[in-house]
Amino acid sequence: MTSLAIRKKNVPSRPRGGLAVAKLRFVTGVTVPLLLYESLAIFVLGWAFLLMFYDYSPGRLGGPILGLGGSNPFVGVQNFVEMLTGRSVRAVLFRTSLRNTLIFAFAVLPLNLLITLPLAWLLESISRYKTLYRTIYFMPVLTSSVGVALIWMSMYDPQAGWLNAILRLLGARPVAWLSDPRAGLAGVSVAMWAVILAYLWQDYGYNMVIFIAALQGVPQELKEMAMIDGATSWRIFTRIVIPLIRPTLLFVCVMTMLSSFQVFDIIQVMTNGGPNNQTQVLLLDIYKNAFRYQSMGWAAAESFVLFLIVMIVTVVQMRVLRTSWEY
Amino acid sequence: MNAIQALPTQSRRYHARHRRYRKYLQQGLAYLLLTAGLSFTLLPFLMMIFSSFKTNTEALRVPPTFWPQHFTLENYLKILNDPKLPLSRFYLNSTLVAVFNVCSTLFTSSLVGYLFAKFEFPGKRLLFGWFLTTMMIPMQITMIPSYLILAKLGLINSLAGLVIFSAVDAFGIFMMRQFCETLPTELLDAARIDGTSEWQIYWRIVLPQLGAPLATLGILGFMANWNAYLWPMIVLQKIEVRTLPVILTWFNSTHTGQPAVVMAATVLIVMPILIVFMFFQRWIVQGFTMTGFK
Repeated sequence: MTSLAIRKKNVPSRPRGGLAVAKLRFVTGVTVPLLLYESLAIFVLGWAFLLMFYDYSPGRLGGPILGLGGSNPFVGVQNFVEMLTGRSVRAVLFRTSLRNTLIFAFAVLPLNLLITLPLAWLLESISRYKTLYRTIYFMPVLTSSVGVALIWMSMYDPQAGWLNAILRLLGARPVAWLSDPRAGLAGVSVAMWAVILAYLWQDYGYNMVIFIAALQGVPQELKEMAMIDGATSWRIFTRIVIPLIRPTLLFVCVMTMLSSFQVFDIIQVMTNGGPNNQTQVLLLDIYKNAFRYQSMGWAAAESFVLFLIVMIVTVVQMRVLRTSWEY
Repeated sequence: MNAIQALPTQSRRYHARHRRYRKYLQQGLAYLLLTAGLSFTLLPFLMMIFSSFKTNTEALRVPPTFWPQHFTLENYLKILNDPKLPLSRFYLNSTLVAVFNVCSTLFTSSLVGYLFAKFEFPGKRLLFGWFLTTMMIPMQITMIPSYLILAKLGLINSLAGLVIFSAVDAFGIFMMRQFCETLPTELLDAARIDGTSEWQIYWRIVLPQLGAPLATLGILGFMANWNAYLWPMIVLQKIEVRTLPVILTWFNSTHTGQPAVVMAATVLIVMPILIVFMFFQRWIVQGFTMTGFK
């Protein structure tokens, strides 16, 4: 009845040429603005690509096209050569930043998995208050990372901070967690461990929630059957659960790696790269070079290197963990 | 005879009891470990809240106090009455940016996702592949030219600068396409035969069906925008136009040696979103797991 009414009302407004033309008009109506917008994205990417090969600073006038050329000379691959072999301050600092980024990412990933996977498994096994636990564990994820940094800075405060209060209670000497360049643990500076801890605190709730969702997908019967056969919880976990949640494990590894390679907020607020550049990570170095020292060509080359590393790590992880997915 | 029969029963009972004890033990241990982790998660928040109610001298005391000994609201009053810190303005800035970005990405994601799911046109695969590629490219690659474009357009220090490059979100398009593919094509065709125009089909039929994924994407997008730091810090260099996270670092750097006030400012900026989360936690957590998007 109603459809008949609509039909009567709308028949005159139907476009000439029928449905195909109407569809075509819709498709063009959406794709043309979209293509225009995407050409902006291509333009931005192309510009980023060009910048890597120039000694570009926005303060200089430069050539007619995008300010490239002239006083912003073309230097070819010299930026990359300098990164690898240069003795200049910025080249050394780049290599330090690269090292710090790798330390950060390769410390964060295993620690994160070591915290989140067992906790998620425990959270799945309890019978009550699941939601309460999950909610509280997830709170830091939604906290602005600047807030996280400030909260942890107050914990790390050399005088009034809680960590040193505990150390004093144990009779140990207080540590200037974020500013002592000589303090270290396992070959990594204390300041780096301090930012790693703050980052982990903010981040583990996220992976926990992902793991919980995956663990809920593991069929209960499988676990019970193994239990009847006399398997211990540990064996059930390593032999049944882990293989079944392997795709999730891969996803979590890749995502955690990607975000820790691009860490910025917490470190910029807590240490700004110090002490003695011990926490200077790549994105922070890129930011400083581009927006403080105005050497944007160099910074663009650096961000390309960061991008390449991220791509390589992702592909390698996919290869390593993808092997057998068919369950 | 009796003894032989009794043995298996006894042993079965023993095993049942043993298993029950083991289960209790495991549950108890699980709660213990989870509560330890919970305290570690919660304590920094509690310290932030308690510190914000301390006097400044107490906040600097060694060793630190847990409960505020002299409960005071002076830190909050100081922030709220600071003429150099019009908090409502920064809340407005953050809200404007987040709401505008969320609305524009929801619109474009649903529209383009629907297009990719339900229409055939030449170059479709190429265009979709291009979207997936742009999804992989991290923000630090595009940030320098994007900044230069904004500078050329005179949009540095304007909230519009935070909006231009976020109108289309490749991830949102990808997600919406997945959902649109599940919509029955017969329904859309029936509407077409009834003479509904293509735009009306999108607006009246497709969009209402996408309620749940749109809500998820919207909430996640809002959180991401609200907490964004690096790009707003680059674009917004004047104080009045800044968003909350950028203001918080600035506030921290101008109030060194006053930890109680800084903690009060942190509470004011961190807590609203956490309170919202308390109410919608189920949805939000589901959204994160469904999309795997941070």
